[in-house]
Amino acid sequence: MNQTIDPFTGFGLGLRKEHHADFLAEQQPVDFVEIISENFMACGGRPLATLRAVRERYPVIMHGVSMSLGSARGPDRAYLAELKALARQIDPLWLSDHLCWTGIDAHNSHDLLPLPYTEEALDRFCANLTFAQDVLERPLLIENPSSYVSFAESTMTEWEFLAAMAERTGCYLLLDVNNVYVTSVNHRFDPAAFLQAIPPDRVRQIHLAGHSAGPESMLIDTHDAAVRAEVWELYAQAVRLFGPCATMIERDDAIPPLAELLAELDQARSAARLPA
Amino acid sequence: MSLIDTQRSFLAEIAADDDAPPSSLGMAIYRNAYRARLSDALAISFERTRRWVGEDLFDTAAAHYILAHPPSNWTLDAFGDRFSEALETLFAEDPEVAELAWLEWHMQQAFAAPDRSELTAAQLGAAGLADPDWAEIRFTMAAGFAARPTRHDLARLWHSLSDVGTPVEGVDTTEPQVLIVWRQQFRPRFRLIDQEEAAVLDNLSNGLPFGQAASECDPDQLGRWLAAWLTDGLFSAFSVDAATDLAVPDAASRSLT
Repeated sequence: MNQTIDPFTGFGLGLRKEHHADFLAEQQPVDFVEIISENFMACGGRPLATLRAVRERYPVIMHGVSMSLGSARGPDRAYLAELKALARQIDPLWLSDHLCWTGIDAHNSHDLLPLPYTEEALDRFCANLTFAQDVLERPLLIENPSSYVSFAESTMTEWEFLAAMAERTGCYLLLDVNNVYVTSVNHRFDPAAFLQAIPPDRVRQIHLAGHSAGPESMLIDTHDAAVRAEVWELYAQAVRLFGPCATMIERDDAIPPLAELLAELDQARSAARLPA
Repeated sequence: MSLIDTQRSFLAEIAADDDAPPSSLGMAIYRNAYRARLSDALAISFERTRRWVGEDLFDTAAAHYILAHPPSNWTLDAFGDRFSEALETLFAEDPEVAELAWLEWHMQQAFAAPDRSELTAAQLGAAGLADPDWAEIRFTMAAGFAARPTRHDLARLWHSLSDVGTPVEGVDTTEPQVLIVWRQQFRPRFRLIDQEEAAVLDNLSNGLPFGQAASECDPDQLGRWLAAWLTDGLFSAFSVDAATDLAVPDAASRSLT
C-alpha cells in the first residue's frame, strides 16, 4: 500500500466507560483517546452518542481485537464492512489490530492467539492484511501480542516476522512494550534485541500496560495494574530507538479513577523526555 | 502441520472440557482465559438472572453453555444470544429464569441497537392522512423492539433484582401476557401487555398494514393503544402506498426516513 500515516506525537489513554463522564465533563490533559473499535461497531444509542461527543473534543484512535488477520481462513468481510462504516463516522487518526488470529471455522475465541512464525503464516498474514488495507482504504498499525506458547515449527523470530510483514504490506507498527517484556520472559529472549530489530520508520504508536505474575515464572498480560518498572525501562529504550511517537496506557481491569491514570501518563511523558 | 490444522487443533484444545487436560502450561493459560472471558461475558449480560438463581447454579449453566454454544460472532457482545433458550432446558422447572434472561438480553440489545428516529403523534398528524389511508399505513418498530409470551410478573421481579431493589422470595404467576422491549431515545424499556394488544403489535412488526393488523379490534380501544404506542415511542417511521406518500409533508418525510 502506498498510503502513509504521518507521525503523531502525544500521550493518550484508552476510553473506558468508567471515565466517559470525566472525558466529557471537561477537557482532560490527553492528546488522544483510543477506543476498542468492536465496542462501537454496528451500534447506536448511548454508546455511539458518547463516542461522537468524545470525538468532538479529542482525536481518536480505533484499536481492534477481532480482525483475526492471522487466520488461515482470512478476515471476515462483514466485520471489515462494519469497521469501515465506523471509521467513516469517527475519522480516526488510524486503525490498529494485532499480530494474531482469534478464531477459525466460525469459532471465535475472543482472544489474541499466537501464530507459528513460519513462511506459510507470514504469507497468509500479509495476504489477509493487504486485503484488509485495501477494503479499509488505509494502512493499518499492527501490534505485537503477549504470548504464552511458542511453536516448534517456527522458522523466524517474532521481530523478524514483524519486520518482514511491514516491508511486504506497507503497514505500520504499534509497539506494545509491555507485551515485548511479557513475551520475552515467557519465551526467554532479550527484549532489547526485539526492539533493535524493529524498523524505526514503521513505528507510529506505543502501548504501555501492567502485567501480573502467572504460574511457574510466566507473566500474564492482564492490564489490571500500573506499568511495572521493567517496562518503564524498556519504554525509555524504545523512545531512544524510535523517537517520540504516540504513547498510551491501557487499563482494562481494576480500573482506577481517571486522575490516577493521568498521573501515570505524566510518568510516560517524563520517561520520554529522559536524555539518551 | 499446515497453518489451518495448527489453528484447528489449538482452538479445539482451548475449548475442550476437563476430560482433555491442556498439553502445556501455556495452553492452560489460553484455556483459562477462554473460559473466564466467556463466563464473565455471560455474568455481565445476565446480572439479574445470576442474582435470581444464585452464582453457583448460574456459573454451572454458563459452563454448559460455553461448551455447547462456542462463540461464533466477531463481537463478544453477541455471545449470549442463545443463553435464554439454553436456560429453558436447564431450568425447565423454573420457567421464569429463561424469561428473565430473555428480558435482560433484549434490554441490553435495545440499549445499543442501531439508531432509529422516534415517530411522534405530531409527525403522524402532520402527514395529513385521509381516512382511507389509515387502513394502509405500515409502521417500522422502534430500535431494539422484541416480544415474547410470559406467565410471570417480570416487572416486579426485574425491579427487585436491581442494585437498589428489595429481594423477593418468589415470582407471581399471571394470566398469559406478552413482554415487549424497545428503546425510546437512549432508554431501553419494557412493558407487559395483554395478548390482544400484543397480537396487533406482532402484526405491525411483521409489516402488515394497520387495517389488516387490527381488523379484529374495537376502534376505540385501538385508538387508545395507538396513542399510547406513540407516546412510548414504539414506532420509528411509517409509510403508506405510493399514491398516499405524495400527501406526506416534506418535513415529515425527511424526519421519518
